[in-house]
Amino acid sequence: MGKSITLGAGAKTNPVEFRAVDKHEPDWFYDLRKAGWEFYHDSPLPSRTVHLWRYTDPSMFVVERPEDSKHILPVIPDKSLTGKRKMSDRYSCFGYNQSDRQTVTQMDDKSRGGGVIFKDLYSGLRENPELVSGYLGGLAGYDFGKFEALNLALWNSGYLVYIPDNMILEKPIYLHRQPTGGLSLFRLLVIAGMNSEFTLVDDYSGQDDRGGGLINSVVEIFAGDVSKVRYVNFQRLGNADKISMTVRTKAGRDSEFKAVYAGFGGSSAKINAGTVLAGRGAASKMSGVIFADGKQRMDYHTGHHHVSGDTYSDLDFKVILKDKGKSAYTGLIRIEKEALNCNAYQENRNLMLNPGTKAESIPELEIMTDQVSCTHGATMGPIDQDMIFYLKSRGFTEAEAVMTIVEGFVETTLKNMPEDFSREIREKVAEKLES
Amino acid sequence: MADKKILFSIRDIHVSVEGKEVVKGVSLDMQGGEKHAIMGPNGSGKSSLANALAGHPNYTITSGEAFLDGKNLLEMDATARSLAGLFLAFQYPLAIPGVTVANFLRTAMKAKFGGDEEKLRSFRKELKSRFELLEIDNSFATRYVNDGFSGGEKKRLEILQMAMLKPKVAILDETDSGLDIDALRIVSNGINASATSEDSVLLVTHYQRILNYVKPDKVHVMMDGKIVHSGGPDLARQLEDQGYDWMKPDNAEKVEA
Repeated sequence: MGKSITLGAGAKTNPVEFRAVDKHEPDWFYDLRKAGWEFYHDSPLPSRTVHLWRYTDPSMFVVERPEDSKHILPVIPDKSLTGKRKMSDRYSCFGYNQSDRQTVTQMDDKSRGGGVIFKDLYSGLRENPELVSGYLGGLAGYDFGKFEALNLALWNSGYLVYIPDNMILEKPIYLHRQPTGGLSLFRLLVIAGMNSEFTLVDDYSGQDDRGGGLINSVVEIFAGDVSKVRYVNFQRLGNADKISMTVRTKAGRDSEFKAVYAGFGGSSAKINAGTVLAGRGAASKMSGVIFADGKQRMDYHTGHHHVSGDTYSDLDFKVILKDKGKSAYTGLIRIEKEALNCNAYQENRNLMLNPGTKAESIPELEIMTDQVSCTHGATMGPIDQDMIFYLKSRGFTEAEAVMTIVEGFVETTLKNMPEDFSREIREKVAEKLES
Repeated sequence: MADKKILFSIRDIHVSVEGKEVVKGVSLDMQGGEKHAIMGPNGSGKSSLANALAGHPNYTITSGEAFLDGKNLLEMDATARSLAGLFLAFQYPLAIPGVTVANFLRTAMKAKFGGDEEKLRSFRKELKSRFELLEIDNSFATRYVNDGFSGGEKKRLEILQMAMLKPKVAILDETDSGLDIDALRIVSNGINASATSEDSVLLVTHYQRILNYVKPDKVHVMMDGKIVHSGGPDLARQLEDQGYDWMKPDNAEKVEA
């Protein structure tokens, strides 16, 4: 095809070649990737003076010569299941993805018969180009940010999830992303049809702590009008992994989008989660349960952007810190001038289990109209000693008292989750408390 | 009563809070089955004594002794004191958000009585009957402990815990405060039904009215960190009529003179 280009900042010292994936690569996709590639090379590192990057050094996510990695191009077709991972009847759709090796997708009969499209993203853009080209990069495009641009240029594994109008899936869609060290560039595109209803669990779990990998993930979710989408982002990577992840959702008219972020893994996690309330009457509820121990650093940013009127957003982020764990939480609420009669709530609570932990909580409000109702709040501190005494006076040991209080602390947030996964999160919390 | 042994005995207890002495030598003996009341004006040290005996870390017992059924309480932390049979009904019960009443009680019962299947079954049955006793709605079980509870609901939950945990010695710290007349009757019934003829109850209160329902064998008056007067049930009524002032040591002298 002769698609190649020498470019970028690197050109001064080390010319690099931007390659086509293969001869079947559509032009629009090549152009999109190329734009991402150029943006990645040309854009400076994000400034540490802005809130978004104040607490995490962006240089840890820079990939010097990504083109040198031969597995880096998205050439991973849907392979047949080789008995490695089996679809469970707990799920409507099941995806297993070992970063640079293979991507497996399976569906139950109801999903297949109902017209659900669930496949690896590269197959999706070749087989469903009119669908994918309309959405890919629409929320986190080539100029969204340096690391999102890198992802767009070179993602090496991804999923396409399309749920048709009026389709209701009772069982969750479960995606297991398993990075295998080195560099993993994950991408997920979700298109929820009008009046559709489903839960998607996006589970990042590392197998071990050997070496540690660099993970860059971008998720785009288009929640159609009147849809009800629940998204669970479960991050339990290995303790040496570093992850930067961006999730963007566009919520349509009268849609209801619920997102849960459970963050437990990685040595450093930089997560940027945002919902654009694009359609009138859209509602977004975002919650988080984050637990940092050892020397972990969790840096979660959330954003609710009210573009249309009569929209509602609610954010409830719980952070638990132990040992020398650190958390920086920044939460933006932006309400446009035209977006009248919006309600926006934001609350971040930090429980610091011992001295030596560190928590930051920064609310950012950009409200262009006065016809709104908006509240925000943050708390941080140790467990109330009177609560511990109360439980001890009922025969609880000190450890049982702490466990009970911490479990209660996250319980109000876990109510929004599918039972299977809330149980796993409870177990994860207990495991970290006991370690 | 004379042949009953002393169940709860405290000797010359001194308590400090942040270096300030608030209880200045209190002694008390209670036999099994007895109910005593400690009355006194605000700031007399009643609640400090109650919290210190239960093992609150902010209330330091600087000297004195406390024995429950022969066991030295002061060598134990709050957990061990509870398991030894001491119970404190809090004046201001704490909210534990996210923890349901049922789970909370189950853990407490398991700590005290062990947690095999049979006990768990009888736990449910017993909880139901105690709900009835205290006129508590079943939905209580799934609510979070004291979270958003009214004052009266909190006090009922305290007495529910007393009923379930069956302490040998229950110290009830102003359990009557904030209760209307119906709630006071219900809570008092709960106290009377929970304490067996073997158990002792120490009522800490500002007012006499709960003593109309929970009849004390002895009444002690505490002022400025000390018990200044002890007597029978009539003493409470006298206090209700005349207030505490006449009992202040300097006033007492004037009366005598």
